[in-house]
Amino acid sequence: MSSSVEGRRPLLRVAGVSFSYLGRFAALDDVKLSIHEGESVALLGANGCGKSTLLKVLDGLVFPDAGTYRAFGEEITERSLEDDQLNRAFRGRVGFVFQNADAQVFSPTVREEVAFGPLNLGLDRGDAEERVHDVLELLDIAELADRAPYQLSGGQKKRVAIASVLVMNPEVILFDEPTAALDPRSTRWLVELLGELRRAGKTIVIATHDLERLPAMADRSVVIDEAHRVVRDGPTAEVLDDRELLEGANLADQA
Amino acid sequence: MSTAGREAPAWLLRPEPGLCSCGCVGRRRRGSFLDKTLRGTTVALARVLFDDDEAERDLPLQRVDPAVKIVAAALLLLAAALVHHVVVLVALSLALLGLAAGCGVPAGRLARRVWFTVPAFTAVVVVPATFSFVTPGEVVLPLGTWFGHPVGLTRQGLTAALLLVARVGACLTVALSLTMTTRWDRLLGGARRLGVPRAIVMVASMAFRYLCTLLETVTDLFTARKARTVNPSDATEGRRFVAASAGTVFGASHHLATEVHEAMIARGYTGEPRTLARARVRRVDALWFLGALAAATLALGVDRVVLG
Amino acid sequence: MHIPDGYLSPQTCGALGVAMVPVWATAASRVRRVVTRRFVPGLAVAAAFSFLVMMFNIPVPGGTTAHAVGAVLIAVLLGPWAAVIAVSIALAIQALFFGDGGVLSFGANAFNMAFVMPFVGYGVYRVVAGSTPVDARRRALAAGLGGYVGLNVAALAAAVEFGVQPTWFHTADGTPLYAPFHLAQTVPAMAIAHLLVAGLAEFAVTAGVVAYLQRANPALLTINHHAVAPAAGMAGVEGPVWWVRWRWAVIGLGVMVLATPIGLLAPGGAFGEDAPGDLDLGRYGLRAVPEGLSRYNGFWSHTLLGDYGFGEGQNATVGYLVSAVVGIAVIGVVVAAAVGLVRLLRRRTEPSAVPDEAMVG
Repeated sequence: MSSSVEGRRPLLRVAGVSFSYLGRFAALDDVKLSIHEGESVALLGANGCGKSTLLKVLDGLVFPDAGTYRAFGEEITERSLEDDQLNRAFRGRVGFVFQNADAQVFSPTVREEVAFGPLNLGLDRGDAEERVHDVLELLDIAELADRAPYQLSGGQKKRVAIASVLVMNPEVILFDEPTAALDPRSTRWLVELLGELRRAGKTIVIATHDLERLPAMADRSVVIDEAHRVVRDGPTAEVLDDRELLEGANLADQA
Repeated sequence: MSTAGREAPAWLLRPEPGLCSCGCVGRRRRGSFLDKTLRGTTVALARVLFDDDEAERDLPLQRVDPAVKIVAAALLLLAAALVHHVVVLVALSLALLGLAAGCGVPAGRLARRVWFTVPAFTAVVVVPATFSFVTPGEVVLPLGTWFGHPVGLTRQGLTAALLLVARVGACLTVALSLTMTTRWDRLLGGARRLGVPRAIVMVASMAFRYLCTLLETVTDLFTARKARTVNPSDATEGRRFVAASAGTVFGASHHLATEVHEAMIARGYTGEPRTLARARVRRVDALWFLGALAAATLALGVDRVVLG
Repeated sequence: MHIPDGYLSPQTCGALGVAMVPVWATAASRVRRVVTRRFVPGLAVAAAFSFLVMMFNIPVPGGTTAHAVGAVLIAVLLGPWAAVIAVSIALAIQALFFGDGGVLSFGANAFNMAFVMPFVGYGVYRVVAGSTPVDARRRALAAGLGGYVGLNVAALAAAVEFGVQPTWFHTADGTPLYAPFHLAQTVPAMAIAHLLVAGLAEFAVTAGVVAYLQRANPALLTINHHAVAPAAGMAGVEGPVWWVRWRWAVIGLGVMVLATPIGLLAPGGAFGEDAPGDLDLGRYGLRAVPEGLSRYNGFWSHTLLGDYGFGEGQNATVGYLVSAVVGIAVIGVVVAAAVGLVRLLRRRTEPSAVPDEAMVG
């Protein structure tokens, strides 16, 4: 997999972004980042470093106190997303799989859950039903279609969550700690799925601190330290070799 | 054992049954009214709110558009509120129960839910109103005299009491049959189409989802406390605990609420509830509405014209 | 204090429902004006929370039960308009699923518990808390007191709504069509249950949760307190609040309300307030009651609390107090509604939004 970004257009651009929760709990400090088409990028950092927050900025769920964020050429702010057309276009092109699958599956049945996205984006009911069917087959959960999501196991819930995002066919998919809380078999399945998505041309951004599976998931790694700043942005293999950097960011401990 | 260079405290390494030196582990205590309310509420809540079995079946009653159902229910409620005769109210309730039974909804369950709650309570509360010193009038059942005036149950009092109970029962039958046959999110969709502001519908649908989660959290908190409580009769501590758990529940749920909301927004949600169900007004809907209108008019007509 | 269907006449339900429509519309538009969908999850949690609080029925001597509502707590944390929406939703769920509170009488229940209670309670809270910092003990007590007063005023409103039914809505032979108890019975009954039992529970929950949050999560308290001095160590904005300036006027009003029964002790009536039949005609050189006077005197005979008491002069003192409180409450509500309407109209013509302003009343 080539990690060169020459000739690939930048889809998401974060410039000088800082953010604090409720005005006093710092989460991001002057972060600069560009995500290009077809890339697979990992955001690395210890808990609380701000990687989840950065993902939320990328998905227009949280708006920075300072700096700008542009997606597909449009500036994304609270005000600009008030425009229904821009909001729908944006939401359809960027998907987010949350860490807590319980928060993401809230509909009465799996079928309705997966249909939620397309229906909100204005897709015709017939088309939506077809897509739901296709995605459920793809992720091997077709037999769960009429079950209530809260009754499912952790791995099944995760599949439903991913299905509900894939069904919108986004160009960029953001994952927040996807392998946390998954058993080994489900983890393997997920890593394989990520590979397939990359081969299909999707752009993937993953927030994780799972260094073991990192090389299989992302070509490029961005390291965020506990002071909420980006300290390294480069090919995954190089980042993983830099032991000092990893220890400094609390991603690895002394052997 | 030690963690990160710090030694575990001595008391953690010693076995200590139930934190009480007298060894009274596991002695049963009478539950406070809080415990009882909580236990009863959890079960009742889960059953009532999430017992969607009836709402899921594909029968005529369930297929009617929810907005039409709401309007029809409002018509019937209005009729029930304006009727002056007990007979008409009872007939209305029975007719509705019959319709429910005919459409496959367990009428017995509906009847029990209606009549075992508020009307029973109402009947008890309203008993004093049958007496002459509350409702003056023609004494039908004299119970003695008070300074020369006959005292007892008055006809007006009895009629009023009966009328009130019958009215409450009829209205409840209408309301509960609506919710037993319509799923909450469809009901909200209907309300939205009738003009309820989007913001309110958004909040209501999320609130409904949280009820069970909140209740679980509260129950867990109380169970955890029970497991560590030595002296349950300390009122101050009890009050502080209630306040603390209420605060925790509020804060933790707020966090979960934000997460779910973000998940919804991320998939394009802007407040309009959309479901896979169809939303056109069809023949079934028109029939339903006209049926309700006819029933309401009939009830009022009989009440005013025939019975006076 | 939930009023089931059947206790209130459709006219009463309709009137209160109509009164609530502008309140709900204003609350909804406030939520949207603040723009962020940020507050929606908080509101949903608040609604669920209020629902749970209302399910805890406390047994009251006499066989009935009373319960706290939590409306003032929500008003303190998220603003009174948020409380309107949250409590209304909790009431709707209870009405539709449990029959706890009627569907037709939903407007009346919302009026009492989702409008009167949070606004009155919030007003008391702001007045008593003044400009103390967010983590001051007085603030927690003020919140509790707001809850206590708010709940009792709401209970009073409900009692009045019940109590007028038999007087206004009855058949020709006097049979009450709806709630059969008169004001003289409903007011003391509701008052006892709520002054002595439910009100204390409301005080405990409201003050307790605020106190707990002051220690454990003061950030939650800042959502609705922009002009308040922050807790030590928190960045915030300081500024005088107009409630502080008006506090003495409100306290003065309160004292006067309590003193109104003194009027009962004074012999004779006030000048110029005699009914035509009581006029001492000779003194004024008249031989008959002036025609206009007698014609228009009986015009407003449909008074709620005629002669400031209940019919037949029973419980005069209570009648006086009730009249005073109800009178002030009605005036307050009308003024608030008028102010709100003016603001709403003004906002329609000036589309500038003030972002970040929380739903402060």
